Amino acid sequence: MKTARRNQYLWMGALFVFLALVPLFADNNYYITILNQMVINMIVVFGLNFITGLTGQMNLGTAGIYAIGAYTSALLSKNFGLSPWLTMIASVCAGFLLGRGLGYPSLKMKGVYLSLTTLAFSEIVRIFATNLIDITGGTQGLKSIPRFSVGWIALDTNTKYFYFILVVAIAMCLLSIRITDSKWGREFRAVKDNQDAIESLGLDIRRIKIRAFTLAAMYGAFGGALYAHFNGYITSLSFTTDLSINYVIILMVGGIGNILGNMIGSIVVTLLPELLRFLGDYYQITYCILVLASALFLPDGLISLYGKVMGVFNKRSVAEGGE
Amino acid sequence: MDNPEVVLEVLDLVKRFDGLVAVDHLNFKVRRGKIHALIGPNGAGKTTTVNMITGENPQTEGDVLFEGKSISGRPVYARAQMGIGRTFQNIKLFSAMTVTENLMIGGQSKTTQSLLKYLADFRSARKEERHLREKAKEVLNFIGMYQYRDEIVNNLAYGRQKMTELGRTLMGEPKLILLDEPAAGLNPSERKEFIEIIQKVFETGVDMFLIEHNMDVVMNLSHDITVLNFGCKIAEGNPKEILVNEEVISAYLGEGYRRKMAKGAEGNA
Repeated sequence: MKTARRNQYLWMGALFVFLALVPLFADNNYYITILNQMVINMIVVFGLNFITGLTGQMNLGTAGIYAIGAYTSALLSKNFGLSPWLTMIASVCAGFLLGRGLGYPSLKMKGVYLSLTTLAFSEIVRIFATNLIDITGGTQGLKSIPRFSVGWIALDTNTKYFYFILVVAIAMCLLSIRITDSKWGREFRAVKDNQDAIESLGLDIRRIKIRAFTLAAMYGAFGGALYAHFNGYITSLSFTTDLSINYVIILMVGGIGNILGNMIGSIVVTLLPELLRFLGDYYQITYCILVLASALFLPDGLISLYGKVMGVFNKRSVAEGGE
Repeated sequence: MDNPEVVLEVLDLVKRFDGLVAVDHLNFKVRRGKIHALIGPNGAGKTTTVNMITGENPQTEGDVLFEGKSISGRPVYARAQMGIGRTFQNIKLFSAMTVTENLMIGGQSKTTQSLLKYLADFRSARKEERHLREKAKEVLNFIGMYQYRDEIVNNLAYGRQKMTELGRTLMGEPKLILLDEPAAGLNPSERKEFIEIIQKVFETGVDMFLIEHNMDVVMNLSHDITVLNFGCKIAEGNPKEILVNEEVISAYLGEGYRRKMAKGAEGNA
C-alpha cells in the first residue's frame, strides 16, 4: 500500500515537471492556451473529486460554481479596481458560502437531491448571467478582465500565467493529498462505501457531505477566477451544463477518487478534442464514443490501467493469496 | 428518574408502519452490568426495537431513556456519541478499506481536531492520527484481529468481518452495545470465539443488549431475557425462568427445545 502511494506521488511530480517543460518545446500561443485550460481544469477536478470522487455524491453544478467564481473575481477587480489577488480570495469565499448554502438543503436528504439541486442551481446562475446584462454583459460577455503580477513579475503573457497557475495547481494538489490522507478523507471515503454505517459511529453524515461539497465549491470557484483572469473575457455562454458534465467526464476518465487520476483525466480530456480536431465533422461522435468506451471498459478510469500494468495495487493480494 | 442500576429503559414503545403495529407498548429495562437478550420469532419486532433505540427508525409513541435521560428525537449520531454502539445483522463495514481504517473511523467521533487547524498545524494533526492508530491497534489486539490489520475488509471471511465490526464499535468507547444477531452466519468455532470476545468486552464494563436466534448463545451469555411475539412482550426473566415459561415454549422455543434442554446438561443454563 505504502509503495503504491509513493509511486503515485512520484508520478504526480513527474507529470507536473513534464507540464512545466512543455512550453519550452512548444512555445506557441495555441498550445499554451490549451495548457492553461488543462491546469485550470485540474484544479476544478481536484475539488470535484472530494464530493463526487471520494464521497460519491454526484455534483452536476460545477459550471455554476465555476461561473460564480469567475464573475465574482472579474466584477470586483474590473468595477472596483481591487487587486485580483483580493478578488480571487473573494471568489474562494463565495465558493465557501455557496458550498454551505447549497449543501445544507440538498445534502440533508439521501439520494439524488444533490445532483438535482446542483444542476438546477447551475442553470439558474447561467440564466441570471445571461439576463443581467448591465452587470454581467450577458452573452456579449465581460471584457478586459485584468491580469495581475506576482511580486515584480507581471503575468502579461500566457506562458507566465501558465507557470503561475501550475504552481497554484501543485499547491492545490498537495492540499488535496493532505485532506484525502487525513481523517476527513477517510470519512469521505466511508460515506461512499457504506452510508448506513456512518451515523451509528457517532459521525454526522450531513456535515461530512457538506464539508466535501464546500471543498469542491471552493476549488471550483477558485478555478473559475483563475480562468476569468487568464482569458480576460467571460461570457455566460461558456457556463452551460455541458461544462459541468465535462468535469464529471474528466473525473470518470481519469479515475474516480484518485488525485493522480484527476490529473491524467484533465490532461487527456482537455487534449482529446484538440487531437481529434482533424476528424472534422466526425470529431464529436468520436469523442463521445471514446468517453463511452472508457466508461464501459475502464470504469475505474485510466488510473486503473496503471494499476493493472504495474501490478502495484494487486501485488500484495497476489503474493498472499486468498484468505 | 435517574436510576444508576439501569442503563437503558424503553417506555411504552410503539412502532406502527401504516396500519401494521410492529411493536406494541413495549417496556423493558437493561440493567447496568448485565447482558440483556431480546428474543422471539422472525417478525416479532426485534430489529425494529433496536432501530428505535439507535434512532435509525424512531418510534411512533413512547420514550427511550438512556442513563435516565430521554433520547427520543435525537439523531442517530448524537445517540452514538452518548455511548450507544451497535453492530448490524447484515454487516455494514467500509468494505474497500483496511481493517485498521475501519476501526479508525469508528474512533473518529472522539477526535477534536478541526480541518483548518489540521491544515495549519501539521504536528498536532499527526499526533491525533497516531493516537487513533495506536488505539485501533490496541482494540485489534484485544479482539484477536491484529494479524488482519492491513487486510481489505472485502477479502476477509464473514466471521472476521463480524469481528471487525465489533472492533469498530468498540473504538467509539460505547457504554452500551446493541448486538443484532451476532452469531448469525458464523460456524461453530467462530461462534465460540465471538461469545468469548463478547464476554471479554462485557468484563471491561460495557453493557450489552443482544438480539439472537441461537439459544445456546443466548443462554450462555445473557442474564436477563425479554421475549417478544408479534410486537408484544410475552415474558421476561432470567434464562432459567424463560426456559420453563409455557408461553415462550409454545410461541418460540417449541416442545423439541424443552426435551433437548431436559436431556442436555443442566449446567448449560
